Amino acid sequence: MAEHILLRDLDVPDIKAFDVYVQHGGYEALRKAVGMTPAAVIDVVKASNLRGRGGAGFPTGVKWSFIPQSEPVKYVVVNADESEPGTFKDRQILEGNPHQLIEGAMIAAYAIQATAVYIYLRGEFWDIAANLDACIEDARKEGLIGPDVLGSGWSCEMYTHLGAGAYICGEESALLNSLQGLLGQPRVRPPFPAQKGGGLYYEATVVNNVETLTNVPWIITHGAEEYKKIGTPESPGPKIYCLSGHVAKPGNYELPLGITFRELIFEHAGGIPDGKQLKAILPSGASGPVLPATDAVLDTPLTYEAVAQIGSTLGSASIILMDETVNVAWAASKMMKFFAHESCGKCTPCREGTYWLRRRYEALLDGRAQARDIAILDDVASQMTGVTLCALGEFAVNPVRATIKHFRADYEAWIKQEAAEDKKAAKPAPAREKAAAR
Amino acid sequence: MTTTVTIHIDGVPYAVPDGMNLVDAARIYAGVEIPIFCYHPKMKPVGMCRMCLVDLGFEVRDRATGELALNPDGTPQVRWGRKLETGCTTTVRAGMYVRTRTEQVQEARRDVLEFLLSSHPLDCPVCDKGGECPLQNLTMRHGPGTSRMAYDDKLHLDKHVPLGDLIYLDRERCIQCARCVRFQDEVVGDDVLAFHERGRRLQIITTSTPGFDTYFSGNTTDICPVGALTTADFRFGARPWELTNVPSISPHGPVGENIALSMRLDRDSGGVQVIKRVIPRQNEDVNEIWISDKTRFGHHFTLSPDRLREALARKRGELTPVALDDALKAAAKALKEAGNSVGFIGGPMTSNEDFFALRELAAHVGSRKLGLWPATLGDAAPAAEVGIASGSRLTELGKGDAVLVVASDLEEEAPIWFLQAKQAADRGAALIVANLRETKLDRYASRTVRYGLGGAVGFLDGAASDETLAQAANLVVFVGNEGLGADEHGVLLRAAANLLITTGHAGRRNNGLIPVWPGANTQGGFDLGFESAATRAMLQSAPDVLIVVGADVAETPAGAAALDAAKFVIALSLFPDATTAKADVVLPIQSFAERDGTFTNAMRRVQRFYTAQGPVGESLPAWQVIGLLGQRLGMDRPRRSAALVMKALAESVKLYAGMSYPALAEAAVQTPPIGISPGFYGGTAAAPTGGTGLQWPSKAESRAKLSVTPVEAPQAVHAGAGELVIVPLRRLYDRAPEFFASAVMHGRIPQPFVALHPSDAARLGAVDGGRVKLSAGGASLDVTAVVDATAPEGLALLPQRLAPGAFPQEPVAGRVEPVAEAVAAD
Amino acid sequence: MLKDKYADRIEKIFAKYADKRSAVMSLLYLAQEEYGYVTEDACAEIAALIGTDPTQVRSIAGFYTMFREEPKGRYWLQVCTDLPCALRGADKFYEELLQELGIEDGGTTPDGMFTVEHVMCLAACDRAPMLQCNFHYHEHLDMDTMRALIAQWRAEAGVLAEAAAVGDAPAE
Repeated sequence: MAEHILLRDLDVPDIKAFDVYVQHGGYEALRKAVGMTPAAVIDVVKASNLRGRGGAGFPTGVKWSFIPQSEPVKYVVVNADESEPGTFKDRQILEGNPHQLIEGAMIAAYAIQATAVYIYLRGEFWDIAANLDACIEDARKEGLIGPDVLGSGWSCEMYTHLGAGAYICGEESALLNSLQGLLGQPRVRPPFPAQKGGGLYYEATVVNNVETLTNVPWIITHGAEEYKKIGTPESPGPKIYCLSGHVAKPGNYELPLGITFRELIFEHAGGIPDGKQLKAILPSGASGPVLPATDAVLDTPLTYEAVAQIGSTLGSASIILMDETVNVAWAASKMMKFFAHESCGKCTPCREGTYWLRRRYEALLDGRAQARDIAILDDVASQMTGVTLCALGEFAVNPVRATIKHFRADYEAWIKQEAAEDKKAAKPAPAREKAAAR
Repeated sequence: MTTTVTIHIDGVPYAVPDGMNLVDAARIYAGVEIPIFCYHPKMKPVGMCRMCLVDLGFEVRDRATGELALNPDGTPQVRWGRKLETGCTTTVRAGMYVRTRTEQVQEARRDVLEFLLSSHPLDCPVCDKGGECPLQNLTMRHGPGTSRMAYDDKLHLDKHVPLGDLIYLDRERCIQCARCVRFQDEVVGDDVLAFHERGRRLQIITTSTPGFDTYFSGNTTDICPVGALTTADFRFGARPWELTNVPSISPHGPVGENIALSMRLDRDSGGVQVIKRVIPRQNEDVNEIWISDKTRFGHHFTLSPDRLREALARKRGELTPVALDDALKAAAKALKEAGNSVGFIGGPMTSNEDFFALRELAAHVGSRKLGLWPATLGDAAPAAEVGIASGSRLTELGKGDAVLVVASDLEEEAPIWFLQAKQAADRGAALIVANLRETKLDRYASRTVRYGLGGAVGFLDGAASDETLAQAANLVVFVGNEGLGADEHGVLLRAAANLLITTGHAGRRNNGLIPVWPGANTQGGFDLGFESAATRAMLQSAPDVLIVVGADVAETPAGAAALDAAKFVIALSLFPDATTAKADVVLPIQSFAERDGTFTNAMRRVQRFYTAQGPVGESLPAWQVIGLLGQRLGMDRPRRSAALVMKALAESVKLYAGMSYPALAEAAVQTPPIGISPGFYGGTAAAPTGGTGLQWPSKAESRAKLSVTPVEAPQAVHAGAGELVIVPLRRLYDRAPEFFASAVMHGRIPQPFVALHPSDAARLGAVDGGRVKLSAGGASLDVTAVVDATAPEGLALLPQRLAPGAFPQEPVAGRVEPVAEAVAAD
Repeated sequence: MLKDKYADRIEKIFAKYADKRSAVMSLLYLAQEEYGYVTEDACAEIAALIGTDPTQVRSIAGFYTMFREEPKGRYWLQVCTDLPCALRGADKFYEELLQELGIEDGGTTPDGMFTVEHVMCLAACDRAPMLQCNFHYHEHLDMDTMRALIAQWRAEAGVLAEAAAVGDAPAE
């Protein structure tokens, strides 16, 4: 792509400044949108087939159209709780191109006639929140946010809200609870956020990911047809791929949906360092099933459908690469520690299962595991499948089942006490439990 | 009205109410048990435990025509869900198909149980819940026989964590179902419990000051589906299978909470049957499955060492133990001499049978002096006319309805009604709370009304013009007597009746007046012709002989004076008290736990309690003592059982016609069935065995013509110069021997105090925490001053039965003076 | 009291939300800033401000990992050792940092200067090893840059201590 649509800071380093953003056509899309009817805005986004970039890939325009227009109070909530291991794309947008997110969020707000927008940032984005507040203030001064936006008669406020360290708050209903000052635990659905009773303060609410909304101004400006020329028909548009782990040039890559793993890793990101062989790919952080780096996998296009077909998920396209030196069972233990730490504890299978699995992985890496423990790991994970309250429990199963499926030998190496010799697979730091509750 | 829809459960069609919770619908209409831990029908579903997973499907209909799609064999096509769904978060609707017995469902249950038990300590052999534990029971029914969890992998957490004075938490046993947290939040409205941390370390905490300290805390131990929550009173006290549950009725307060007394032979008590614990007995018309902590923990008086064990008679001025026969002889002699100058006063725990026996004796001697204690109440005629209609349920009040509470601190006087009024408000009912001071119910009120001393009648008289009340679909009015004189209370009850009649609410189900009486059987006393006004007359002019049953008449100066003025006082009592000290003959009687009897609650429901433990000393039921006395005066010998007394009562008292013991023992079907015997929802509430009682209909229900009687407020008490009006309050926890005998509660009973407005305190020189002397009507009390901005100016709020000594029980003008040496003392 | 000292900030926080309860996390950050960690008194203060029970505030503080429930070092170093960082040497970096400071995992230096913990993903996987110090990120670290940072923080703390001694502590 000659010019970036999302990571425009790579083309215009100062685009984060309000004036620079405006000089480069910023907020023209919002101006255009408020000149349209809200329904027409939704129609354009629907027609573009923009799909949610948070991981689920749900069509954004369809989501907006679920909001009952008759409700007097409606909200847009921006999910900036970017916490998936291997994901750091939203951060670059928030740091480098914040006004485009703000503009996209305001267009979404106009489309559903929201009364306020809340940007829920993960707690660690402390500095980002401060900067975002300043950006919102700049836009407010110009009448782009606040009462009577651009003379349209429609008023909408925008606020940032900092989380405080909880992966589960990336799950939209947990996020809403957290924003309401409650425990960040998922809600029972229905009612869904788009319905009265299910959203923020139990009002109808659209929850969209940062990257999703950052696509919106371009779509409004250039139209749905232009947008669909990028990517594939089912998965149109640009996508930010986060590359981390064993890769020469880790970072964010804005490329169309539909390029292959091979192109992304070897043409754009410089391949695997130190002449090592690529062994395994996690295409969607810790949450998606691992894939062995076979030729078939490497030649798979990065679309929601194609990645699903080879047994994994594109998710938020946070691609973690592991070279031949990595024991994948060790990587799985890292991921399981993550999920056990981040399980909210609300539902039984996730609360108990992630803990149990974490403990078994510790045993595995301590050389206390026996052959039957591989079956136990697989069984415990399988009995969490399909029965948890939210997706976290479903995700937590993947590091176990997929790694056993594709890399059983790596597990057996631990049981045979061979892996302990492997330097790369150094014993991870023991999990430190928080101090007991009072 | 809800419509009925057809759903299929395990292939069988059932007609169920549309929109009902699937777990309830399956249980009630299909007899199918979908196992649960976190779900509780009294609280909102949360879908946490995942035990209730079922296979859910819907019949397929053609989009265009709406026709059912059929299989080749003619059966409807069903589209089954991709995943199992939690039954507790599913509401039934037409065309729903449910499978609860598939291998997939059974496996899911097995898996959830294996998870729940993975870090569970499995200390069932020493666990209080063992034997009545839902986790144990469901594991037996649905669980895996073994666990694959390595022992070393188990997480260890704190055990024996006191959450307050009364409730202990075992964090290892907890399965994080949040029932206790949700109970405090949703039902009680005091969210002092919460989860701390997350994931497997999620655990219940309280960091409130004081800790878990509400009037309802014990209920959490009932609904806890494991042995994580136990009471300080019962923990390690007995195994459930050793206990026999005897149906009973709370002797504390006007609600008439249905309870069961869990009895066991007890070594530490000399091998006799004792009450090991009190649990709720389900009665959706009364207390649902909730009881107050006073009812739960306030049973220890029944075996208190202070109980009267033998008869006493005055010999050379001293009360001396005598044989019962001798005491009766002395009493009979005095009665014979008195002719018809005999007065009778029955107290708050006096049963209907006892009142009836007194009434028969009175008739025999030709006396009509039938008095009720306390002497501060108006008459019950308005309640008989427009009292809450039979079959009414406070649990049904909601949007469009109104609840009016006047002159009562419901939380202190009738905690269960506090819960029910609060929950009615939660469901959308308008809740109007009118009192001369702030009470806790104000928090949930849609409107609060503050009136001055003497202003209650004026407020209620004008309330008919209030649109919320006039237009309410249903209207329930609670009337108490806080801050009221006895006459004023009578007028206020009449004004409430006028309101109900004027607004057209009288006589309809879920409408009417609920008098917040002080005692468990105050209503029964009224029903049998005993009146507070008659007591007041006797206090003015004492009869020659006073027979006092379970009433500490000497707790007021006027009562003490009347006891002195009477020539002969016969006191039937559980405890020696200021009244027995003034008596000439003292006869020990039995508590509610030692005998059969009935109490009539303030909603006019006559309810049976059963003999649970043996008699204390030589005590007898009061009706029998009175009968023996009558026998000596020439009456027939006493009836042989309480049942026969009730039979005679039902034959002679019209309101109680048909209320024989067998009729009262009939149990109405409870929906949903939460009590133990069905055992389905888990927890320790008893089934309604023993009867759910019978209500007598108010006059308004019989289409009698009702008329409004204009009311006029009597003159309010006026404080003179340098005086305040001392207003007695009823508090749930007091130092009456019927409650104070429960040592487990001592930490929660306040020191004697009086609440003063800051400006009054400043003017009088009283400091917060300092000692003050209250004097009024020739009596005085020494109490601690509490400076409280919510106390109305000019009033001194005095909780009753905290300080020893007689004091008026109606508002009275008096002095409040700091006691100089007070600060150093204590 | 937070209520008096930060009246303006608290008012601004409340202005953002339809329900005061939403302010609980912002107020917990404020309390942490003021008292160093979430004290029982802080929970009671916040509970009174937002109209709930102190237990509910404690519950929130316990759920989220960025609230300190016990005193920590002046510099609270949270090193990401999650998978992507670990693939780039974060575990080794973490062990060396602990050695450098002579403390255990999760420990605090005896002078109360540093608390070191390992944490889950901080969304900086491409810049590993990295850590967060008092909510600010430091990325592309190795032990050399780390030693320099430690020295810098020690010096800064010295300045702060001196300033505090003359009653003129700069705001952090």
